[in-house]
Amino acid sequence: MTHDPTFWLLARASGLTAYALLTGSVLAGLVVRSRPFGRSVKTASALDVHRFLALLALGMLVLHGVALTLDRTVHLPLAALVVPGISPYRPTAVALGVLSCELASLVVVSFSLRRRIGRRNWRRLHWATYLIFVMATAHGLASGTDSTQPWAFGLYLGAVGAVAFATAWRALTSPIRVPSPAPERST
Amino acid sequence: MYRIVIDRSLCSGFGACAELAPEIFEVDGGGLVSLRLGSSADPAVLDAAAACPMAAITVEEVEAA
Repeated sequence: MTHDPTFWLLARASGLTAYALLTGSVLAGLVVRSRPFGRSVKTASALDVHRFLALLALGMLVLHGVALTLDRTVHLPLAALVVPGISPYRPTAVALGVLSCELASLVVVSFSLRRRIGRRNWRRLHWATYLIFVMATAHGLASGTDSTQPWAFGLYLGAVGAVAFATAWRALTSPIRVPSPAPERST
Repeated sequence: MYRIVIDRSLCSGFGACAELAPEIFEVDGGGLVSLRLGSSADPAVLDAAAACPMAAITVEEVEAA
């Protein structure tokens, strides 16, 4: 009996897509803060993209986890999706993915609780996004079976390079405050 | 007429409101948003409040004086 590769293919594709969406969300978040495009990109639009990509990434992570448990290639128990370190397949690398996903869920949920937890805690939690990105990168490189392929390695390299560049841009340039136009005066 | 209140303990100075309704909101020297006008009839204040990522802007519809 041959092994149906559908869920295995779905798991790999959804994992890589989630990583690309996470990268896009991080970059959009950095655009909101450092505003490298000035007035040509509205803050409200960049915020919408940032939130939308983050939600899509979480949705893709759900698909990634479900596909992995349904596939028979790595035999991942359902509990391994929420408890770090119990995966029989590359436990440390999978644990990084689980922790990254759980922390990302916390950051997304914190958006709905921002009024309750306050600005300072919300922003502190948002800084964890860098940890999420680092863990997701390490997870992808160490547990992804496509990581050795040039195209996949290129994706990780491009993502890390883009986030590093955007972060450096943010750190080295003071937040650009595009002056609001003077209010129109009626004569 | 809309009465506008900003919760500056929540405001993080993203400035989305100042882009959408510059006659009413401005990012001040401290990097937070302050009001140019406390009330306005411009419906753009509703868009500005909806765009605030911290939900720091409250808009209340009041009878014009």
